[in-house]
Amino acid sequence: MESKTMQPTPVQTERENLRRVRFTRPALWVQLVLLACLIAGPLVVPSFRAMDVMTKVMIFAVVAASYDLILGYTGILSLAHVTFFGIGAYSMALVVFHSGQAAWYHIPVAMALAVGISGILAVALAFFSLRVKAIFFTMMSLALAEFVFILGDQWHDLTMGEDGVSFSLPGIFSVNWSDGTFLGAALNGRLMTYYFILVASVLLFIGLVRFVRSPVGRVLKSVRDNEQRSTALGYKTFHYKVLSNVFGSVVASLAGVLFAMWLGYVNPTSVLGIPVMLNVLLMVIIGGMGTLYGSIMGAAFIQVAEAWLPDLQKLAMLLLPGVEMAQRLAERWILYFGILFILVVIFFPKGIVGTARDVIARRKLRLAQRDHQTGL
Amino acid sequence: MTTQTATAGLQEQGGTDFKKVGVWIASVGIWFLPLLWIDPTTYAVLTVAGLAMGMLIFLTASGLTLIFGLMDVLNLAHGAFFVWGAYVGFSLLNALQQVGWVEGAGAAQSIGSVLLCLLAALVVGGLMGIVLEKMLVRLTYGSHLKQILITMGASLILVEILKVVWSPNDEVVMVPAAFQGSWDIMDVIITKFRVVAIVVGLVVLGGIQLVMMRTKLGIIVRAGVENKEVVETLGYNIRRVFTGVFCAGAALAAVGGTMWSIFKEQIHPAMGEENLIFALIVVIIGGMGSVTGSFLGAIMVGLAFNYVAYTLPPLALGANIMIMAVILLIRPTGLMGKE
Repeated sequence: MESKTMQPTPVQTERENLRRVRFTRPALWVQLVLLACLIAGPLVVPSFRAMDVMTKVMIFAVVAASYDLILGYTGILSLAHVTFFGIGAYSMALVVFHSGQAAWYHIPVAMALAVGISGILAVALAFFSLRVKAIFFTMMSLALAEFVFILGDQWHDLTMGEDGVSFSLPGIFSVNWSDGTFLGAALNGRLMTYYFILVASVLLFIGLVRFVRSPVGRVLKSVRDNEQRSTALGYKTFHYKVLSNVFGSVVASLAGVLFAMWLGYVNPTSVLGIPVMLNVLLMVIIGGMGTLYGSIMGAAFIQVAEAWLPDLQKLAMLLLPGVEMAQRLAERWILYFGILFILVVIFFPKGIVGTARDVIARRKLRLAQRDHQTGL
Repeated sequence: MTTQTATAGLQEQGGTDFKKVGVWIASVGIWFLPLLWIDPTTYAVLTVAGLAMGMLIFLTASGLTLIFGLMDVLNLAHGAFFVWGAYVGFSLLNALQQVGWVEGAGAAQSIGSVLLCLLAALVVGGLMGIVLEKMLVRLTYGSHLKQILITMGASLILVEILKVVWSPNDEVVMVPAAFQGSWDIMDVIITKFRVVAIVVGLVVLGGIQLVMMRTKLGIIVRAGVENKEVVETLGYNIRRVFTGVFCAGAALAAVGGTMWSIFKEQIHPAMGEENLIFALIVVIIGGMGSVTGSFLGAIMVGLAFNYVAYTLPPLALGANIMIMAVILLIRPTGLMGKE
């Protein structure tokens, strides 16, 4: 009893260390510069396309980070993550669409709805499939994803089927709203939505980071690394897995609300389809599993690639006119995603941030060794 | 939680046979339930359709369950083999049409052309399976995550190549003349190809059981499912068995694809993915690694799909997921699963 109060636990020491270097770490400056770029972006570059890409990067960074919480920190491979994202997007769209006129309170209602539905669904999924084997979860989640997709595609009365739902946002987020200029940029609904999404996704991301660094996050990592040992230490690993799964899914559904707000339109293929799921998976793997910040890199890579790939296709068609096979190959961009997928998994399994961290750690070690030697 | 599983294990040791009989009776009996709201004639038609569909799903699921049981690999490229089989069969039928073996063909020619298609699918699927196993899957034994990612990437690539070679649109498949139309037995209309599907499914089930139970190869495979290390210490090259099973599973999926394409009379590139979902549900219901279990599961899924599709069309897949959920609640390892 006495020793407990006297000695700080390892967790406390690590936290104390983190707190001490909080304002001097280089990572902090990277984060601040990134945030400044995102804030100043639309004011400096008034192109809609750039703003579109930046917004999608922010939203998908949150989706990928919440997926990383489940995949990289808990070690569960879910294929239904985008399903929760889609549930969020659809709850935003349907709340506005079915109530006719958009009102400001629709946004919190949609968020509450998204959190509720996806939370219940995530708990149900976890309870059914996490009891047995991790791989069961993968299969069950794939089945769930397909089921929700079919629901979105065929429940025509509710979701308008594959035609999708388009809706307008209330008040200052409406496309029609505009109020002069601010710092040289047109102050309109788009800009307001952009900043709303910026604030919301930064908050969600911080929430994920705090979750991972909390005591619960530590237990999750221990479950991932050695489940039997964590069980032996007295942790109910099943509960922790369910918790992480539910938290990740809820964050993804909130990101889905943001995505629907940005597009003003949802349809099954754009928010529920398996290709979207593969994109998110690829983002996490490219960025680096179990790093959270990697998902920003991954999201940026994929979104930029997706935005400029059509130009590349046009270039390919210009260079090889008349070669039908080349044109057909250029059209199939998922093919290159598949190849990238395999190459990354085989040759680059730690992703961008994971590899960078390895390199930095190795250099620090080398420096420390050299100092040690010269000190002698 | 641990005490629960321990007691469950003890019970299982005591009454495995009794439990298995119970599972069989329950899973047969429940299928007469729809008679309450479907009239007998329709019920008979639906049952034949469901059995045929179940047999075809079984073709895909049997390979998936064997690969999982023996190699501990969840092969998400299985749908790609399926759809390649379908397209190979479709092309071959088009080619045979030029010779007059499809439309307006006699019985022998029709049977011949279907057999040729199945053979072609078997060869193409088997080759693709060998190549994929030797090139990619081999790199990832032991890591479920990597296996899933790699097979998923391979599946994407294969389906996209398929879209380049053929086309991304729907195509209509020609049915050999002898299998067109249907028989009418006391008002019960039975489409001819459904019977063919049931026969092919039973033949494949019989073949797999024969190989698994009566040959040395089958003994090695079954022993490998139980314990790989011991099989290796006895001097068998388990790697070669792995390649063989993967190849056989891929070939079965491709055969399933060809049969499915003639059954549905149309094909499209996404059909592999759709069928993979069915196969996954079946494998989960049946218990991973068990061929008999996946046969039972496939029949259940096929029947349930048809009964529900008749009553409430949009809920057909949902009903299967409900069945899966209920079975997992009762038996978390599936009908015939171990552990």
